Amino acid sequence: MRILLIQEDKLLRELLNQKLTNHSYRVDVACNGEDGLRAVRLNAPDLIILEMMMLGKNGFEIMQELKEDEDLKNIPVIIVFNSGQSEELNKAKKIGVAGWILKTELNLSELIKEIKKIEESLFKN
Amino acid sequence: MEEELIKTKAENEISVENGENLITTKWRDEEFRKIRLAFFNILEDTEEAKKEAEKEKNKTLDIINNLTDGILVLDEDNKIELFNPLASSLFIKKDENLIGQSIFKINSDRLDLAPLHQALKGSKKEKIKHFLRKEINIGNKVFLQVSSVPFNEKNEKKETLLILHDISKDKLIESMKTEFVSIAAHQLRTPLSAIKWTIQMLLDGDIGAITAEQKELLQKTYESNERMILLINDLLNATKIEEGDFSFNLKPLQLEEIINIVIKNTKDFLDRKKINLKFEKPTAPLSKVLIDKEKMELAIQNLLENAIKYTLSGGEITIFLKEEVGQLVFKIQDNGVGIPKDQQDRIFTKFFRGSNAIRLETEGSGLGLYTAKNIIIGHNGDIWFESEEGKGTIFYFSLPIAKKESLKD
Repeated sequence: MRILLIQEDKLLRELLNQKLTNHSYRVDVACNGEDGLRAVRLNAPDLIILEMMMLGKNGFEIMQELKEDEDLKNIPVIIVFNSGQSEELNKAKKIGVAGWILKTELNLSELIKEIKKIEESLFKN
Repeated sequence: MEEELIKTKAENEISVENGENLITTKWRDEEFRKIRLAFFNILEDTEEAKKEAEKEKNKTLDIINNLTDGILVLDEDNKIELFNPLASSLFIKKDENLIGQSIFKINSDRLDLAPLHQALKGSKKEKIKHFLRKEINIGNKVFLQVSSVPFNEKNEKKETLLILHDISKDKLIESMKTEFVSIAAHQLRTPLSAIKWTIQMLLDGDIGAITAEQKELLQKTYESNERMILLINDLLNATKIEEGDFSFNLKPLQLEEIINIVIKNTKDFLDRKKINLKFEKPTAPLSKVLIDKEKMELAIQNLLENAIKYTLSGGEITIFLKEEVGQLVFKIQDNGVGIPKDQQDRIFTKFFRGSNAIRLETEGSGLGLYTAKNIIIGHNGDIWFESEEGKGTIFYFSLPIAKKESLKD
């Protein structure tokens, strides 16, 4: 499965990249929203892990643009956000997300399990 | 004066020798002269007293005019009798004469005086509230602390003295401080997350095998980082309360369900401290209350974690929930260290921690009860406690039962 990581913070990006690579996923990375969208359009991934808080194009704008695109709207998205942003999470849930990561509460092993579940459902379809 | 009298007496004696009529006329003239003199003296004294009074009045007016607080004196009908420049500058157009205008009829072209009128209105229509002390926002980032006191009470006319203290600068500094804490806390979360993820990966062996010793050290670092994350979350919640954007998303829910979730989330902590927790409630479901689930969980969690933290290992905690007329009452009782009597009135204050609590548990932000109180009040509830040092503490809160019309979710 190919996963696209859209994450502004270099360390968070590298950590997730390594964790996912260790679990044999193919990982592409984008360090801002604009690059992220370009990467999705160039070569649609199976899953996107998207940071919500970014300078320039933020997570919401990216989600909205994806939903408006017939070819891309069904790509599952896991959003990454901070605690205390419950309104943002609710807004994102309305647009439709496959899962969410609360940065300060994330358990990386749990995340891998979540991704496996998404992978299984993708294969079923 | 004395010399004059003696002189008059001598003249009188001479007049007696010149005949009776002359004596009478002279004597009368003399009397008039004396009266006139006395009268002039009185006039002079009065004039002096008047000047003195005028001087005093001007002095008082000077003081009032140069005060950095707005001062208004209102008559019985709330009409302005006296005001100083600061009061009028708060209200409007410079130099407008406010005398004789009702305080409730005054409007400003740049500020919203409705909150001021609202604050001043007593229960009776158009009757001013006395002994009021209230902070109000009249727009344009202007905050006033309004005080009203009855004035000239012994006189027949009952007047009101209104003091308007401009606290805009205090408010600005306060909000800058809150904003600073909020930004700092937000900014800290990403690096703290990065530390958390890194240690997780090291512990999971993602970077390579580690020794038992390394693992132990990393585990401790991880826990330290977790405490920092909790502290940051507490700080952010507290700043949210202060910024007034702690909005409540209220829905009719069963309070017992929220309590059960919190108990489940806290199980590890309870087990670690070997504390026996009981939850006593009626078997039949209780009435629903309007709850913001996330925030109520936080409030109950803060109360339960406090009970655990400040109860010695092997202690007991009991949560009671019961329904009373129109409200649910939550009670959490522990047999922990208690709150010293002399510190009880500060227990809900931000950053406050009891001296014995600090001795027992060095970690703690002092924000838990502050946050809990604000959450309960945000639910139109009430929170209070009873405590005895060395014996234990009981915290209570009550929440109004949801009215039928609000049960439709």
